[in-house]
Amino acid sequence: MGSVPLIDPLLVSIARYSSTLLLLVVFCVVTIVGIWIIRDLDTANLEVQRMYAGSVLGLHRIGELQYEAQETRRATFYALTTNDSNLQLEYADESREADRLVNAGIIEYLRQAQTPREIEIGNRLESDWSDFLKVRNEVLSSILEGSTKEAVTLDLAGGVQSFDRVRQDMEEIKRLYDEQASQRLANVVATSRRFAIRLIAVLAFTLIFASASVWAIQRSKMLAAIQFAELQVEFVASVSHELRTPLAVISSAADNIVDGVVDKQVDIRRYGSVIQKQGRQIAELVNQILLFASTRDRRSRYVLRPLQIPQVIESVLDNTSELLHDTGFIVERQIQASLPYVMSDPLALSQCLQNLIVNAVKYSGESRWIGIRAVLTDLENRAGQEIQIVVQDHGIGIERSELSHIFEPFYRSAAVSDAQIHGAGLGLSLAKDIVEAMGGKLAVVSEVGRGSSFTLHLPLAEERDLRLAAATIELPSDIQK
Amino acid sequence: MSRWAGLLFILIGACLLAAALAPAADPPRRLPSAPPAASDQNLAVVVNKSNPVEKLSMAELRKVFLGERSHWPNGRRITLVMMESGQPERDAVLHMIYQMSETDFNNHFLRGMFTGEVFVSPKTLATPVGVCKFIFNVPGAIGYVRATDVDESVKVIRIDERLPEDRGYRLHVPPRPSK
Repeated sequence: MGSVPLIDPLLVSIARYSSTLLLLVVFCVVTIVGIWIIRDLDTANLEVQRMYAGSVLGLHRIGELQYEAQETRRATFYALTTNDSNLQLEYADESREADRLVNAGIIEYLRQAQTPREIEIGNRLESDWSDFLKVRNEVLSSILEGSTKEAVTLDLAGGVQSFDRVRQDMEEIKRLYDEQASQRLANVVATSRRFAIRLIAVLAFTLIFASASVWAIQRSKMLAAIQFAELQVEFVASVSHELRTPLAVISSAADNIVDGVVDKQVDIRRYGSVIQKQGRQIAELVNQILLFASTRDRRSRYVLRPLQIPQVIESVLDNTSELLHDTGFIVERQIQASLPYVMSDPLALSQCLQNLIVNAVKYSGESRWIGIRAVLTDLENRAGQEIQIVVQDHGIGIERSELSHIFEPFYRSAAVSDAQIHGAGLGLSLAKDIVEAMGGKLAVVSEVGRGSSFTLHLPLAEERDLRLAAATIELPSDIQK
Repeated sequence: MSRWAGLLFILIGACLLAAALAPAADPPRRLPSAPPAASDQNLAVVVNKSNPVEKLSMAELRKVFLGERSHWPNGRRITLVMMESGQPERDAVLHMIYQMSETDFNNHFLRGMFTGEVFVSPKTLATPVGVCKFIFNVPGAIGYVRATDVDESVKVIRIDERLPEDRGYRLHVPPRPSK
């Protein structure tokens, strides 16, 4: 697979922190567009409801209004068909009931009218209907009086025209409702089309982005795997070198003894000492590798117990005293008095601290000074306190760009490799894993040419932990009290 | 003295003779005594609310009911509303206003329409509610209902300056038979 120079570093960095970041972006985009689409749906739904309430119901109402208006006129004419005053009165009642419904309908229409045109038509209808009713009343009166001819004359003279105006008004209202319904339908269609386009767009975007994300994630994993494999190869080479050098020294010393080149008791003892020292170095390297393997496999189980930091520091300095003495280092200690207990695994914490001291020795360059400081400080959020153990050197320092990689397993900077400083690239990774497993953290501050400062942040043992520890294991008398 | 006694005797005799010679009329109906105010025994004369007439004398009322008057002062044609034959209200009106029998009433209008002396043909309705509705619908209509049957759609006019609830009101009707 061909490499993409510009994209690969970005992908590697994304993969390093979190490959789910891309999926998060997809989720956010889809959510935003989804909200957008839901808003469109709501708009369409609202428009349909308005269309139903405004236009469909309006058309239904105007239909009823037209029927009742016809009924008002029809019932009046029915009264013409009989001479029975009682029956004529029944028809008059029917006409007036229909007229009442029409009036109520007009009032309701005016109440709901919103646009100036609706209000104008409503007012005109009200006026025309009132004019018609005046004629209707006269016609009705004439019919009841028995003046049929007069009734017909009155209707022809005024009733027909006024009712025609009413009918035209109602037709105009109907047309208005039709127009509004058409407009709203067009809005709904436009909204639906917009919704469909957005839906297709978001689906396409999601598909493309998801594909790109999957590709990027897969590629970043592959790159990470390649990088890890390269690191492992480098590690094997480094370990081989680390093993070969002492083995060569041991082999050479042994050859000299076997070949009789060295025969004096003093020289033999010196050669034995060299063999012993190189053997210990090999054993130390193997231990580091085994420890790293155990932490990777999550098999490492730490037994936490209350510890006194000064004792741990003393123990580590004892273990490394030979190294420090041989290399001529001066160790400056600043241990705060009466430090409280921390909850930690003594062996793991010692290993962690020892790695930091050994690193300080390895990367101190010409400097022969190491500072160890242990203090009780407030947490950053002022929610409590912690103990900080600082291992400082005035060595070669670390490039700013290297700082984010130095805790990765097998990582060794180019400058270190070039300087032929031996190491497997596991010390800091192990130290970080250990301290984080115990609830602490490991931080670094460094400047090239001025040295580095590694700080272990360790949480204090809580009262409950101390009581529990006192009850289960043998502790110093001050805890038991 | 004897001369004054003789004159008194002649006067009483003349009265008795006049009473004996008077024409035979319908058998006298038993009219109810003065009813309590606003009871169903008072007969209200009602017109359309738009009618400007507020009161009529008994003589004017009689002319209107006999069809001898064609229009109201506002120019509206008078339409007379009667209840159907056999209704107590109609009987009371025939007796108190027309002072006719049913037969005479029918003959009066038949003859009047024929000769042109009567301008109005009465409309006949079955119920007091119908009467009120008719008068509500016809601006020139006039009719009658029991005072208790009057509703908001019509206007009661004074007869001889009196409303049905006033003391001395002259138009009465027998009470409704209890169910």
